[in-house]
Amino acid sequence: MTSLSDIPVIQTPPEAPARGGNPLANVFDDFIRYCRSRSLFMLHYCTGCGAIELPPAMTSRFDMERIGIQPMVTPRQADILLVTGYVSVKTLKRIILTYEQMASPKYVIGICSCTVNGGMYWQSYATAKKLNDYLPVDLYIAGCMPRPEAVIEGLKALRDNIEAGTSDNWKDYYQRYDHYLGNQQRLFGADWQTPTEVIAEAKHYGLFGPDTLGEHTRRLEDHRKPLEPLRMTLNAGRLEHME
Amino acid sequence: MTTDIGQWLGHLIGQVEGVQHRGRHARRQRLDVAPDALPALLELLQGKGSFVHLSAISCVDWPEDGQFELVYHVWSYELKTLVSAHIRIPREPGRYLSVYDIYKPAAFFERDIHEMYGVFFEGSPSMEKFILTEWDGPPPMRKEFDSENWVNDHFDWQDYHPDWLNDIESRGGGIAIRPDEQRFSRKAKHES
Ligand code: SF4
Repeated sequence: MTSLSDIPVIQTPPEAPARGGNPLANVFDDFIRYCRSRSLFMLHYCTGCGAIELPPAMTSRFDMERIGIQPMVTPRQADILLVTGYVSVKTLKRIILTYEQMASPKYVIGICSCTVNGGMYWQSYATAKKLNDYLPVDLYIAGCMPRPEAVIEGLKALRDNIEAGTSDNWKDYYQRYDHYLGNQQRLFGADWQTPTEVIAEAKHYGLFGPDTLGEHTRRLEDHRKPLEPLRMTLNAGRLEHME
Repeated sequence: MTTDIGQWLGHLIGQVEGVQHRGRHARRQRLDVAPDALPALLELLQGKGSFVHLSAISCVDWPEDGQFELVYHVWSYELKTLVSAHIRIPREPGRYLSVYDIYKPAAFFERDIHEMYGVFFEGSPSMEKFILTEWDGPPPMRKEFDSENWVNDHFDWQDYHPDWLNDIESRGGGIAIRPDEQRFSRKAKHES
């Protein structure tokens, strides 16, 4: 339906030499992007068999830490979401929840043919086919499964894209939230919702666009249950005995 | 006793009516059982034959015959033999007795078969959803469930020649897919 190239990539402020072509005008932005691309924390969501190639990629033989990439344990502190392999429909829900919890800027990498087009599970009712229908994917590493060399090569490409400022599909998730939500609702049913306030975040980041809201987000409002604070008690598990 | 399992087993199951015995190998014995006789047979195998381990219950759909085939695999640690007891039940209404009272692990296998084939086991402790907790379509392992159609209705496929591939091709890479193996999403199908 959408090819990756149709997704408008929002450039970071155009590098037009301001004020008579001062070569140092963007030096601070460049520096930030350079630093960001050299220190990436990766949340590897090991959904499928492709995850097997990650331990060698991470450990001493191929050692992705030498290009500044380290595994991270929580989505809140991670920059990259690595989806390694087939994504079952049940798992996809969890991946979307995880993705939405990550702080921007965030990048999604789909490893394995299965995330590209369903791979060898193309006929299966249980696995999602195109990851970039549901999440803004920055980079695919195809292969069944890709060797650690390919994984490292892909991560290097992502690093270069971040440094060049061309890898910001995460903005697309806010700008075209309605599109992504529509695909999610098509698969999970009309009452699908996540606890994250994506629309409010879009406003916060200044990424609220004409396609952020639409028919699908309107449907969201019909089903939205207000979040209720949990009651804070000690031994909450035994609450009913106390009352 | 272990020297001729076939003979010994034949002797044992001679006590139950409606059982046909086909031993293909000392370690692998096949019994074709009438559905009514299966609980009695399993009880006998477990109680007298040391077949204490229920390895699996599997189900086969035979839509032309209008039948489900249920296969109970039981294993004996002493005889090192796997006995597979096959029964056929009518596809409609697809109900059978649970063997949970003989083998406790049957609860999981029966729940799984109920979910995947829609066979209902009377007396099984739980017939709730098991793995497909978020699935509300028909039981997906039945032969009449067309997985490919379902997939085409619910998912889109990646484009075969997206623009970004041009970049890769200009650098000497690329992909080739035979025309008969190409699949197209709803939109492309409607357009063509
Ligand atoms: S592409 Fe191959 S290795 Fe990767 S998840 Fe799919 S089947 Fe497994």
